[in-house]
Amino acid sequence: MEFHSVKVVKGTGGWGGPLVITPTETRNKILYVTGGNRPEIVDKLVKLTGMKAVDGFKTSIPDEEIAVAIVDCGGTLRCGIYPKKHIKTINVLPTGKSGPLAEYIVPELYVSNVGVNQISLADEAEAASETHADAETENTEPEEKFDTSKTITQQQKTGFIGKIGVGVGKVVATFNQAAKQAVNTVLTTIIPFMAFVSLIIGIINGSGIGKVFAKVMTPLAGNIWGLLLLGFICSLPFLSPLLGPGAVIGQIIGTLIGVEIGKGNIAPQYALPALFAINTQNGCDFIPVGLGLMEAKPETVEVGVTSVLYSRFINGVPRVFVAWLASFGLYSGK
Amino acid sequence: MKGMNTIMKILVNFASGFIGLFKSGASTFIDWMSSIVPLVLLLLVLMNAIISLIGEEKMNKFARFSAKNPFTRYLVLPFVAAFMLGNPMAHSMGKFLPEYYKPSYYASAAQFCHTSNGLFPHINPAELFIWQGIAQGVSKLGLNTTELAIRYLLVGLVMNFIGGWITDYTTKFVCKSTGIQLSKTVDLK
Repeated sequence: MEFHSVKVVKGTGGWGGPLVITPTETRNKILYVTGGNRPEIVDKLVKLTGMKAVDGFKTSIPDEEIAVAIVDCGGTLRCGIYPKKHIKTINVLPTGKSGPLAEYIVPELYVSNVGVNQISLADEAEAASETHADAETENTEPEEKFDTSKTITQQQKTGFIGKIGVGVGKVVATFNQAAKQAVNTVLTTIIPFMAFVSLIIGIINGSGIGKVFAKVMTPLAGNIWGLLLLGFICSLPFLSPLLGPGAVIGQIIGTLIGVEIGKGNIAPQYALPALFAINTQNGCDFIPVGLGLMEAKPETVEVGVTSVLYSRFINGVPRVFVAWLASFGLYSGK
Repeated sequence: MKGMNTIMKILVNFASGFIGLFKSGASTFIDWMSSIVPLVLLLLVLMNAIISLIGEEKMNKFARFSAKNPFTRYLVLPFVAAFMLGNPMAHSMGKFLPEYYKPSYYASAAQFCHTSNGLFPHINPAELFIWQGIAQGVSKLGLNTTELAIRYLLVGLVMNFIGGWITDYTTKFVCKSTGIQLSKTVDLK
């Protein structure tokens, strides 16, 4: 089998890259974690590079064998997971540097909004510079280890010289770092989503669409049968992985229900069962990645994906029902 | 001339209707910016600090200890892991469990990343609007959302645990139908 390097650039509105992907003797698999379907770019990459493609939704392979990971994450999590492990990542959606793992999403490891036209064979000079880049990434790892050991020495230092002083210093530094992280999270994930949701609310309230939605949403979310039905639909094993990515769909439906509660069309008591009904698909798109974080074996991933989809289905409607029972007395007489 | 006027009127109406969409959205946005954002931000600061002060090593020890029975495995551990590590790193605590129980831990932990999010938004800020979308309607009525958040968390405690436990049985079923055997003891590396 002969391998070839390819160059991947970002699509219009995409972010990061360009990446040069060079298969080696050990790193020679394409992993795609895209909810079970196979994006076109997988076939193109297989054809150009000569590598084997593996569906991360069906099985898993050791990280050391992955030359490139392909995701379809419009939200948040999967975009950062593979870059965090120093694995080059192609996103078919235009997501940029965002989400809880935003700090790991760097142009050297991540490129988004990639279609078949963004992939081409790399010429030799580029392939050579790529090996150089690889060496650089490996260099960063020991640095990280060094950082960790530094924290340990900092902790050990507390022995002799005024424990209190060091302790206070450490607490202040920790809080300062925590604040930096928090501001970062708010800026990169919460505020962008708020802007997006506000715009949707504006369009819905300001135009006639709101009335149509109210007509659909009120009977669905305003009584227990409608909510049970909503929970049932979201938990169907063939739908749930598709509804999952970034929890975007759940968040939009939630906001729509919230708007109707705010208007008084739906009783606030139903907020509790609704919280469960819109999210019976919770995490169904993320199973292989989550199990990957647990260092699960390939056969565990194979069993686990099906098993969790089934258990979500069995558990979905009862969750909504129990939440409804628990909602009695909530906001009553107010 | 009259025709001209009508056309102008339609244009003006259309334009003000169009900008009205954004005005309505903008007032929602600035309302959230002054209420939700500062609250979540300060909570995040405190939680991040607590988490880094406690440290990962203690968390690992706790996870090893919790692997023993369903109660700690699918209720205590995922709840604490979600609180301490957030989404998605809460799942990493599953590495201390036997292979057979990993899918069940996943099922439970993923849900704890949402049901506790009403009280502790640092757990899953990126998917906050599962909670916030509905909660903003409740607070618009002038009601206290904490009441809702507490019930969300409590129902979650019970049902996420049951969800994890049920997955033990679906795993058994899938193992049987595919013929794959998963180990019920931890591999000692």
